[in-house]
Amino acid sequence: MSKGTVNINVHHVTRIEGHGNIVLNANNGKIEKLEWQVPEAPRFFEAMVRGRSYEDIQTIVTRICGICSITHSLASTKAVENAIGVKVSEQADKVRILMHYSEQLQSHVLHVGYLAAPDFFGVPSVVPLVGMAPDAVKTIIGLHRLANEWSDLIAGRTTHPVTLKPGGLTKFPTEKELRALQERLKKCLPDLKVVAEVVLSVAGNIPKFDRPTEYVALKQTNPPTYTFYHGDITSTDYDGAVAINDWKTVANEYVSDQSTAKWTKWHRDSYAVGALARFNNNAEHLSPTAQAVAKMFGLEKGNCNPYMNTVAQLVEAVHVVEVSIQMIDELLTKGIKPETVKVSPKAGKASGCVEAPRGILFHEYEFDRKGHCVGADICIPTNQNHANIQKDFEALVPQILDEPEDQIRLKLEMLVRSYDPCVSCSTHMLDVKFVR
Amino acid sequence: MKCEVKMGLQTSNFELQTSTVVLGLGNPLMADEGIGVRLVERLAASAAEYPDVEFVDVGTGGLSILYHLEGRRKAVFIDCAYMGDEPGTIRRFVPDAVRSAKVLAHRSLHEADLLRIIDMARQLGQAPEEIVIFGIEPQRIEPALGLSPILADRIEEYVTLLRQELGRESMI
Repeated sequence: MSKGTVNINVHHVTRIEGHGNIVLNANNGKIEKLEWQVPEAPRFFEAMVRGRSYEDIQTIVTRICGICSITHSLASTKAVENAIGVKVSEQADKVRILMHYSEQLQSHVLHVGYLAAPDFFGVPSVVPLVGMAPDAVKTIIGLHRLANEWSDLIAGRTTHPVTLKPGGLTKFPTEKELRALQERLKKCLPDLKVVAEVVLSVAGNIPKFDRPTEYVALKQTNPPTYTFYHGDITSTDYDGAVAINDWKTVANEYVSDQSTAKWTKWHRDSYAVGALARFNNNAEHLSPTAQAVAKMFGLEKGNCNPYMNTVAQLVEAVHVVEVSIQMIDELLTKGIKPETVKVSPKAGKASGCVEAPRGILFHEYEFDRKGHCVGADICIPTNQNHANIQKDFEALVPQILDEPEDQIRLKLEMLVRSYDPCVSCSTHMLDVKFVR
Repeated sequence: MKCEVKMGLQTSNFELQTSTVVLGLGNPLMADEGIGVRLVERLAASAAEYPDVEFVDVGTGGLSILYHLEGRRKAVFIDCAYMGDEPGTIRRFVPDAVRSAKVLAHRSLHEADLLRIIDMARQLGQAPEEIVIFGIEPQRIEPALGLSPILADRIEEYVTLLRQELGRESMI
């Protein structure tokens, strides 16, 4: 086959959560078709919650995702509280953020360790890494365990939390449990540094590709924070801040023929969300050790290499652990106090927003005076990244079209994986033959 | 030792770990594929009788199985399994008695071959010294709530076998 003639049809991309296809047809250096396709069926969650009580919303919409279930729970609960005019206590607010951080650690560790690392080591999955870097794999397994048990403790279980309710939480961790968690978090910081050093040792395999991009994330100014939870919407193309209730003026969702998911755009023809977007908007507020890890990789604000999103996730994993240690100190200093919250339904419409591990997430609900949902709108981060992945493809492929087809395919797959897109699950069962 | 039950609210001591873990695998939304989860739920209901056993619904957890194995002396897996038997048949076997007929695409974290996960744990030196698998032959795997009658009618028999397993010393 002559140079510049390739036919790539990846159906579906592996090591992502959900289904997406890569199609590239080029003939003698001329690109005839280049698409990031999303063929997933619509899921109709916005229709499912109609008619349901404000108290049921979180329980239903958390099922949107098995990885970001805490994030969907928090965004929906915040939206419900905003709609019916409920405030939560400072204690509940802190414990919720602690819950949210457990999911950030869990998701980032899984992506860096199990999904992205095989690319850096040039192997098809995490399985061969057991022989190549056993200590690093053991460390990842230990961090995975810590993150899940952290979720168990604060959210009631690893996936689909049961301790959240409008106005607060159904259960708070005890001071003893918080101290035990804090000890384990302190012990895991060196483990995260080990992971960072291992990733750094293969960082030369992270493709070099820059494309000026608009990065959208939450921004919290009072106090200035590397925020995942509070704040307004901003971007690297915008000096101001947009109120959460006005998120539709940011997302500007539209339909694309090549995707069953809507695409989004703000100041350019696409934008990116996720760890690199948060980093590019808020890096100066990272914890000291997280800043040190970013420096190890030469990751600086203004970076527009999408492949570096994985490194930004690693930086954030360190950050959430370090700030959680401090937050637990703050909670323990004041002591955990029992709370009783009474919430009454009323008519209202509002949005809630948090940063999912893979980017900014919007939920919006409207309720009648009895608290029954009459409308819902949800805009997830992976949707917001689809157009940007397509634009990355269009900028990258002309630069690499002379490379071997396998190399082009790998770089495109790695690019998709670097966004850590996330969707769904399937069945899992044993299929065995007896040999004795 | 304190008993931990990770079904619903997990409120037990954050640091203690039992020496035996019982892991129920499967997806209850896919009919008989959920047998492992249903059985571990049943066993967990009498968890107080087994103070050194943790019962975990790992669902379709895939690689998350790895961290449940670390530091244990014994692991008991309960899963739906194509074994070439009559639907409803339950068989107790050890990992080395079978080879996997699964072909993986490495698509996601949820896609897991239990035997390969066990092999990974062994390579990492984190596998329990005793691993037992209870496989139950399904009648139907399709989107549906509830087990097929042929499995549902034998639940008590399965529970009895599993309780016997937890009551005895290593048989390997």
